[in-house]
Amino acid sequence: MMFGRLLWNLLRASRGRLVVALIALVSGAAVISALLNLDFDVERKLTQEFRTLGANLVIAPGRDVQSIESGAESPTLMDQSVVLMQVERMRTEEVVAAAPYLYIVAQSAGSPVVVAGTWLDQTRKLSPTWKIVGESVATRDDLTHCLVGRDVARQLKLAPGSPIELNYLGRTARMTVAGIVDAGGTEDSHVFVNLPVAQDLAELNSQIGLVQISVSGTSKTIAEHTQQLAAALHGFEVRPIRQVTQAEGDLLDRIRLLIISMVLLILVLTSLCVLATMAALSMERREDVGLMKALGGSISRVVGLFLAEVGVLGAFGGFIGCFVGLALSHWMGQRVFGTAISARWEIFPLTIALMVAVALAGALPLRRLGNTKPAVILRGE
Amino acid sequence: MFARLVGESFVRNPRRKFLTAAALVVGMAVATATLTVALDVGDRLAREFRSLGANLLVTPQSDTLPLEIGGVDYRPVDEGAYLEESEAAKLKSIFWRHNILGFSPFLDVPVLVSTSQGGASAATLIGTWFEHDVSLPGNEVFRTGVSVTHPWWKIQGRWFREDANECVLGSTLAAAFPGRFAPGKMIYVSAQATGKGGSEETIPLFVTGIVSTGDAEDQAVLVPLSVAQTLSGHPGEMRQLYVSALTKPADTLSERDPHTLSPKEYDRWFCSPYISSIAYQIRQVLPGTDVRVIRRVADSEGRILSHIGTLLWIVTLAALMAAALAVAATAATTVLERRSEIGIMKAIGATNTLVAGIFLAEQLMLALAGGAVGFGAGVGLAWILGESVFGAASSLHVVLIPVVLGLAALVAIVGSLIPLRRASHFRPAPILRGE
Repeated sequence: MMFGRLLWNLLRASRGRLVVALIALVSGAAVISALLNLDFDVERKLTQEFRTLGANLVIAPGRDVQSIESGAESPTLMDQSVVLMQVERMRTEEVVAAAPYLYIVAQSAGSPVVVAGTWLDQTRKLSPTWKIVGESVATRDDLTHCLVGRDVARQLKLAPGSPIELNYLGRTARMTVAGIVDAGGTEDSHVFVNLPVAQDLAELNSQIGLVQISVSGTSKTIAEHTQQLAAALHGFEVRPIRQVTQAEGDLLDRIRLLIISMVLLILVLTSLCVLATMAALSMERREDVGLMKALGGSISRVVGLFLAEVGVLGAFGGFIGCFVGLALSHWMGQRVFGTAISARWEIFPLTIALMVAVALAGALPLRRLGNTKPAVILRGE
Repeated sequence: MFARLVGESFVRNPRRKFLTAAALVVGMAVATATLTVALDVGDRLAREFRSLGANLLVTPQSDTLPLEIGGVDYRPVDEGAYLEESEAAKLKSIFWRHNILGFSPFLDVPVLVSTSQGGASAATLIGTWFEHDVSLPGNEVFRTGVSVTHPWWKIQGRWFREDANECVLGSTLAAAFPGRFAPGKMIYVSAQATGKGGSEETIPLFVTGIVSTGDAEDQAVLVPLSVAQTLSGHPGEMRQLYVSALTKPADTLSERDPHTLSPKEYDRWFCSPYISSIAYQIRQVLPGTDVRVIRRVADSEGRILSHIGTLLWIVTLAALMAAALAVAATAATTVLERRSEIGIMKAIGATNTLVAGIFLAEQLMLALAGGAVGFGAGVGLAWILGESVFGAASSLHVVLIPVVLGLAALVAIVGSLIPLRRASHFRPAPILRGE
């Protein structure tokens, strides 16, 4: 009781001086919590960024020995119901997009062209770097509109809105070009239609050639996802697209390491800064300690009082600093990634504990006063 | 007299000076290290991103559409246009030739593959370079191939030699014939449909390894370019050229159409290693070709690079602020601790300006010494960081020396100015009384 009152009076009496220390604590805690929050979230943010690379998993029909021995045309096909059901069942939050593909070589205006039957509503998510002039196709049920690659459009002189005719072994599909795709890859020479159009054209009902999946996450999550899919889809080939997954893994590791080491450096520096301020504050308390001792307070009690003072100060500064820090990391997220960084609540205990520890460490020299005689301290030596 | 006063202060109380100097050293070391890393990181990461492989694709401006599915061209060999193999060396003659890290030609031929026990199977034969020496003007030799443009390809065994009838099998193809399509065995390939002048004969190939690419090449036979050229009847030619170039992230200038730029902007655009300007320069030296930016790779790279760049600058700013705070706090403490000294000085007639001058001179000397040591330590720190993160040490930026020293001086002076201003209001008597 007495201790609490003393502590309260102590804090109230030296408000002016404590404000300086509090500013140091708050700014230290703000920087630390902002960086910690950023560090927790940066991996998730970066893996999302890497999804602009497109699909990183492919399900293809298993290539069995018989088909090769007999010299049969590859690729073979697979039944869409089995595969897509499993893919949908396995669909977790990490799966950004998944779409089946059926490639056929059809004729259009007399020249052969690759027609890709897929889910056009998923392709935008699967390939975010596509630039589309005109409209994109919003649903996978739209059987009258298609997207054409840049090269096809140039070759066949197509513009958004122009009609296109696709012929395959006497069957014809008449479509309207919704948009022109600039993909900067082989897709530039493809025509994209919704899956049923390609299946009807080729009379390959409910057959697909492959499934492309874009999974966000570290190389570990991607590997896990591959294994789960492979286990569920026995007899099919589930493989990661190595170009994407490997580069992604390497880069993520490096960037993480870089940011962690920078954050650590700043952490140490900020702690040092707070420590110095707290040490200065405590040394100013020497005379108070001396006086209390002279009045008969036991040293452990007196030092305890001052340690409690800096502890309270540390906790309070850490608490306020956390709010400032979370706001700071919110701003950083907006600035860097264009989306806010979600607040992690475990930052609070972490930062406050660190601040209290640093503040107490700064006040430790007070303990040395226990061996000094009060008179010496009061004389100012 | 002034100099002696300042000098005495250092000799009399080295411990206290040591504390301020230590704060300065640590603060400036962190500032130097983060600045060095931030200056370097763009180049470093851009190089790391090349593990994504080629970001430009050169194809002939063909009269027919490529029938390409999963990276394999299904057009017959006598259809479509070809590129001259000898033209590839011209890539190293453009303005940004040093940013062209590598290139590799591709030539696909549909073939029948059989083993000595018979059993012909249809497959695609891909001719390319693994590590090929391209001779450049001026007797230079540039070694390039899929080892640079497709670094994620994993080989078991060894790659084929350029001058031998050797091949590497795709992992899926090899797995379909365990024991027969394996390293150390012979396979026989013949073109499925030969074009004009194509070789009718069957070519024996020695299998040197199994390659796993995670893409369509897993089902193909990879051979030296010359073998594919003989089989397809297109000597000295290729279908595609993959180019890996070191680029600068796109910004508003690079997004614009080069024809709409003013001459000055055009010069700036041409002389910046944007992916669009490199593509433009390649088109200039290889007329009749279509140079496509592999947008999937190039766009992701640009986006992520610029985001990480911003992130690191923010972190660097935070480090600089923390360093400044640490130094300013210590400087302020020093002044406060020496209040009684100030009291005595003022009591025996020192003016405020003289007191401030003595303190500032001390802080300045400390800042310069601490900043210099801190710079050295920071360079070491950046070296360790670069070594552990990128596997290569960061370069020394001499520009940072004045920056860091100036920062140290500024921060130390600003940090002591505030308490000194307060000290100028002190009346000597109460201070000396210990109040």
